[in-house]
Amino acid sequence: MSVIIAAASQIFMLTGCSRIDESGKTPDTFVFARGSDAQKLDPADIDDGESVNTLAQICEGLVRFKSGTLDIQPWLARSYTISKDGLTYTFELREGVRFHDGTPLNAETALFTFERQLDTTHPAHFLKASFQYWKNLFQEIKTVRATGPMTIEFKLSEPNASILYSLATFPAWLISPLAFESHGEAIVRRPIGTGPYRFVDWKPNQAIILEKNQDYWGSEAGFERLVMRTIPDNTVRLLELKAGKIHALDGLQPAELAELFDNKQFTIHAQPGMNVGYMAFSNYAARLRSPAIRHAIAMAIDRKAIVDLALDGFAIVAEYPIPPGFLGEPDNSQPPIVHDPDAARKILNEHPDLLKRPIELHTFTAPRPYFPDPLKIASLIRNDLENVNLKVEIITRDFKSHLVAARRGNFELALLGWSGDNGDPDNFLATFFASWAAVEDSATNISFYKNKAMDNLLIAGRQQTDINQRQKTYEQALVIWARDLPLIPLIHTEQIVVTRSEVTGFQLQRTANLFFGPVGWQSL
Amino acid sequence: MIATKQEHKFNALLIELAHKGVMLLLVFFIASAVIFTAVNLVPGDPVSLRLKNPDPERVAAIRAELGLDEPLINQYFHYITSFVRGNWGDSLITGQTVREEIGEYFPATLELALLALFLGVILGLGAAFSAQWFKSGLWRNTALGLGALGLTVPIFWLGFLFIVVGSLWLGWFPSGGRFDFTLPIPQGSGFLIFDSLAAGRLDMLRVTFQHLALPVCCLSLYPAALVCGVLQARFSDPRLHTLLRALRAKGLSESRIWLIHILRLLGAAVITVVGTNFGALLGGAVLTESVFSWPGMGRYLVEAVLNRDLFVVENGLLLIILLAYLIISTADLLAFLSNPTVRRHSDSAS
Repeated sequence: MSVIIAAASQIFMLTGCSRIDESGKTPDTFVFARGSDAQKLDPADIDDGESVNTLAQICEGLVRFKSGTLDIQPWLARSYTISKDGLTYTFELREGVRFHDGTPLNAETALFTFERQLDTTHPAHFLKASFQYWKNLFQEIKTVRATGPMTIEFKLSEPNASILYSLATFPAWLISPLAFESHGEAIVRRPIGTGPYRFVDWKPNQAIILEKNQDYWGSEAGFERLVMRTIPDNTVRLLELKAGKIHALDGLQPAELAELFDNKQFTIHAQPGMNVGYMAFSNYAARLRSPAIRHAIAMAIDRKAIVDLALDGFAIVAEYPIPPGFLGEPDNSQPPIVHDPDAARKILNEHPDLLKRPIELHTFTAPRPYFPDPLKIASLIRNDLENVNLKVEIITRDFKSHLVAARRGNFELALLGWSGDNGDPDNFLATFFASWAAVEDSATNISFYKNKAMDNLLIAGRQQTDINQRQKTYEQALVIWARDLPLIPLIHTEQIVVTRSEVTGFQLQRTANLFFGPVGWQSL
Repeated sequence: MIATKQEHKFNALLIELAHKGVMLLLVFFIASAVIFTAVNLVPGDPVSLRLKNPDPERVAAIRAELGLDEPLINQYFHYITSFVRGNWGDSLITGQTVREEIGEYFPATLELALLALFLGVILGLGAAFSAQWFKSGLWRNTALGLGALGLTVPIFWLGFLFIVVGSLWLGWFPSGGRFDFTLPIPQGSGFLIFDSLAAGRLDMLRVTFQHLALPVCCLSLYPAALVCGVLQARFSDPRLHTLLRALRAKGLSESRIWLIHILRLLGAAVITVVGTNFGALLGGAVLTESVFSWPGMGRYLVEAVLNRDLFVVENGLLLIILLAYLIISTADLLAFLSNPTVRRHSDSAS
């Protein structure tokens, strides 16, 4: 369908793209469009990008990632200290910050965000909310308390080197306690934070409307209003950009960008995202359990071809199951997996039992950030494996049904991926390889890979505070991964945002969060 | 004599109504049972599937909170009783009550579908009658073309064409959405035409119609084609020509023959075909809603099914099914009233 539409757009666009508002004035309203709407606006109970990217304009954390990097920068906290034993984190809050409802930021009001997640009897610990990140990223936090009017302190049960990074992510963004008192559970739809824009209205599946926070403590927002529209059809969204009715968009498929390349009116922002799309071997699939066979299959797959053909170059080959530049990535230039179909064929010929029936490769229909076209990727892999004499049967389901099978390890090969949360290798490696993440029906370790040595390294990596030591620990974990190969990393896709060229101050983030606070307008 | 005839008609209507009532109950129980079974047969737990990184303990607690740990028969009983009471639970995805969400999306779809239906019937009638009246090839081809356009061209393609022409080239209409967010949004019933009239704001009304124009035109082609097709089939029926000859022989004027006698005769057929195809119209609305970013029920339910949004699927689908049944029944009744020869079999003996 999208192909037909794209073809039609080529035909009709030739004469159609001249009418754009070229008055040169800075618009009052900045309009951003995406393919789906936010789900909830409660930082503690979301995991979809649309909700996070809405809250990114409204809420802020004690610390944040310095724009464009994974370096920690104090934000609502003026400064922080970490005790020598790594068990106490103290934050000194910034003076003069107010929530959008006028509540001043101080130790007491800042605690609300953390207490409601930590304390299961807290009135704002909503019964139907999952608080999944608190369980995953913040599990070592034992207590949080005010030690002064502007000082809060986190006590950890054991050291966790990634906690500071986790505090920069959205589940730790602050919301106003007064808002909960006056709106109750409705705050999950009316967020009140401290950010550059404040929430005005939400018309579900149409638009979320924000306005400038006139009392913002940092640099003033660039527009009076910020509207985040939902336009489900990719082609229509692109047409709206060309017509000048929206100023920025995301969610386009790489193939749909071709016509924008030479157009000076638009700027394409792209950078490798903090994600990995992979193919897992289920440990329950006995005939694929041997590392030799897994390596042969890995060697058979031409990942460069996947990048070129399925993603039009908007991705890079994944050498490791962590994004490039992450702590733990080995320095040596020898990649653990090389494309060598001849060697693969030689190994696989020694296992004629593999040919008895086709190998089941499970995939899914709807695009995900790490696999914009999972069907195409599956068929490219099938070609590669047939090229080394294996037979492959592709099994396609909708994403949720696919997830059911994956979380039970009920497959031989399965495509899936992970988008990182806090920029720490633990967030990828423990997710994929820890035995405690291999629980039926909720597994993120869908290979159901269990290895004591791996577990020990993952625990050690979490508790070590010295960065060099952690680097070594994760390097060792990657050596074990490369030996057993429970999954083959395929690609890191690029995050793509297109803006009008007048838009200034926009920068992509490693976390894929979109921040429009610093965005302004400069006529061309 | 006339009184008994009216009485007879009244009795027949009562029987018809009772029959529809019993059928409604039957539809309710069968549909709810089928939906409930289907929802529960799909593997996987909707609570943990919502989460990127689910924690089994917390998932179990949420399931208990939602009553999903109870025996299925209790859950089914709870489902149908709370549906009737209008207590439809919360969306698992957004946390908002299903009632509120349907209150938001349903008027959008109904406004779109009813206007499309209205326009479609007028277009269909116009095309069919013009073809019949002005025996020229141009009008005949227009009618044929309308049939082909409405029944064979996919809506998403047509919708896209409408956007390119109406929004991009001419710039007369917005490409999607229901309202312009630079104006205050009219509040009240959720039917924006009605709400902006009630607010006495002509600017709001204009914006509402501007947003309605393209999706309504796009969606109206299907009912237009249906109506046009049915009428043309009737026109080629030899019995109609006999009737025409008889009416003309009576010396009636041509316009009187067509607008009073023939239209009335064909009305029942038109109402029935439109009514029974209302479901298909709502089906078309899903695609229309998607292309035109229309915040309606179709898109809402499709997303709910894909997201395993349990209570939305259970209650939203049942509501739509009952509504479709009510509309088909109403169409039946109207057809019955407009043409007494449309009778139920049990009634035909008398």
